[in-house]
Amino acid sequence: MIPARNTDFDELRIAPQPSSVRREAGRTSGWRCWLWTTTGVVLMLILLQLITGLLLAFYYVPSADHAHATVSFIEKAVRAGSWIRSLHHHGSQWLSLFLFLHLLELFWRGAYRTATARWEAAVVLLGLVMAAGATGYSLPWDVRALFSTRVAEGIVSGLPLVGSIARLWLLGSNEISTLTISRFFALHVLVTPFLILLVLGWQFFVRRSDRRCATADDYSGDESPRSAKLTSHSTSLVINQATRNVLIAAVVFLLLGLYAHKFPAPLGPSASNATADYLPRPGAQFVWLYETLKYVPGALGSLVGVVLPGLVLLTLAALPWLDKTPLKRITDRPGHNIGVTILSLSVFFVTSMTVVSYLGDRRDPRTRQQLSRQAAAEAAFRREPFVPTLLNEGDTIKGPASSASPSPGGPSGTPPAAFTKLCVTCHGEHGEGARQGPLKFPPLLGVAEKPRRSVEDIVGILNDPAAYGLEPPMKSFATKLTDDEKREIANWIVTLKKIN
Amino acid sequence: MRDNKATGAAPDRSRRAFVLVLPLMAIGGMLATVAIAAFRFLSPTVSASSEKWIDVAQVTELVGNKPLPRKIAVEEVAGWARSFAEHSVYILPGKNSQVLSAVCPHEGCEVSWHDDGNVFSCPCHDSNFAADGSRIYGPARRGLDPLPSRVVDGKLQVQYQSFINNTQERTSRG
Repeated sequence: MIPARNTDFDELRIAPQPSSVRREAGRTSGWRCWLWTTTGVVLMLILLQLITGLLLAFYYVPSADHAHATVSFIEKAVRAGSWIRSLHHHGSQWLSLFLFLHLLELFWRGAYRTATARWEAAVVLLGLVMAAGATGYSLPWDVRALFSTRVAEGIVSGLPLVGSIARLWLLGSNEISTLTISRFFALHVLVTPFLILLVLGWQFFVRRSDRRCATADDYSGDESPRSAKLTSHSTSLVINQATRNVLIAAVVFLLLGLYAHKFPAPLGPSASNATADYLPRPGAQFVWLYETLKYVPGALGSLVGVVLPGLVLLTLAALPWLDKTPLKRITDRPGHNIGVTILSLSVFFVTSMTVVSYLGDRRDPRTRQQLSRQAAAEAAFRREPFVPTLLNEGDTIKGPASSASPSPGGPSGTPPAAFTKLCVTCHGEHGEGARQGPLKFPPLLGVAEKPRRSVEDIVGILNDPAAYGLEPPMKSFATKLTDDEKREIANWIVTLKKIN
Repeated sequence: MRDNKATGAAPDRSRRAFVLVLPLMAIGGMLATVAIAAFRFLSPTVSASSEKWIDVAQVTELVGNKPLPRKIAVEEVAGWARSFAEHSVYILPGKNSQVLSAVCPHEGCEVSWHDDGNVFSCPCHDSNFAADGSRIYGPARRGLDPLPSRVVDGKLQVQYQSFINNTQERTSRG
């Protein structure tokens, strides 16, 4: 008998459920509710990734010549920098793991049928978090990052049909370059977090909470109609389940904090020091993929790297609809059976590949030696004190101002005396512009090529710069120069050519 | 915990309070940990002003009765970056060769020397300074800033400093 709806949340119970799920619901209590708290952990880890990532962005510079310097600055010089970065690094791996566990929990509870939106959100989040991890590995621009980028490049360029185009779009040019870092940076810190927040927001505002744990104590399996008493009572029980989530999340936070303190995030020497014998090893959440790529021939690598995970995610996303398809004729619960198959195969595949990879590294003595050499190099690099990057050489600065340097603007003649007297402090002796502390003054070279910069216009600017949209400190020279002087200056300025 | 004692007779209420207080404490603990780390992480890196002596001129060059303009390259360290910035100074005529920073103490533009009026004048807001650097008129609130200098091996050397703009008293930025 289906009871009348009397709360917003009843539809989850009213929805037809597989018999096993219904039995499950009946027995839900105690320890199982403590297990069903991956939501809280996943939420906590996502927030932690957002916060630590935001903090790292305060120092990081996404360019080939500064990325590594800024990351080592964070590691070595910034207070708490090593811990924050380590939280971000290990947090991404823990997040992948807990999102997968979250999927398992939802599947176990039959949520792919009863709470479709929530199931879809978890699948999409898993894809986004893996994408964020893949793009994030390139950012420190150490040797490891370079190889991670090369692997991404290789996988993408092996895609059938679109490979070569996709590679160019990923790299931003025909080689891995500073443009590539900018792209990965934008994808990592803007695109994926935005999409993740979008999914979270949708979940937060659209979905209704699954209250099996919250209500299980009251129903204890019997299908009696809900009474008003039970509804009012359930408020405190929701708090119960929220409490469990928060407490487990806090425990995971504590463990992650200690782990991040004990094991700092890896940072090797700069990518420019890469040697041929370097053995790249990806982050823990990609080890299975890395190991698989060893066994498949080159062209198939892309299929394994992109298409296979994509298909797995797509099938998981399609689970809620598989029950309604003609497959139903073949098996009783196609969605459930396919889900079980895919999830258990995934668990088996990922776990075994990861284990095989770690065992392989430990068994082969030469690999072990090279890896320990690399670890030693990283440790040595970590011990070196931080040395700031030199941005410009001191000797590029010209000598005393009195030195008569040749006009950089080419044959433009000597500047008029009035220019030398009033304009040079800002615009340079030959109109080349100047820098005064934090202030930069524009060069006048090539100004005549711009619109509204004829001789007449320049005289006009000297009289009233605001009328031409110029801002202080450029001021009016209407009373300080005679009309002849203004014209002389303007005539000279239009002859100035840009230096190439 | 406090609630347990106070409401021992009503275990239901105390349990409910416990169920509320415990997660709040957990959330508070996590937030506090992250906040402390973030505060430490973001606290600015202040580098002391350079103690380095920079050559400005040979003593033999110091002739005439006008302020002598010079440019010096000053090393600046900002966190992960090190760079040389160009700064202008004036060497005043006279026995002790006082060196002035050319940075206007008003908004930081660069003053220039004008022979005709015997004044330093700022191109930005028309602050004017006498030949010894003292303020004559204009929005600047103090005279031009003198820099520590010395003569070693026939060379005039200076320690470059920058000062907070637009104040009456002279406060080094370092």
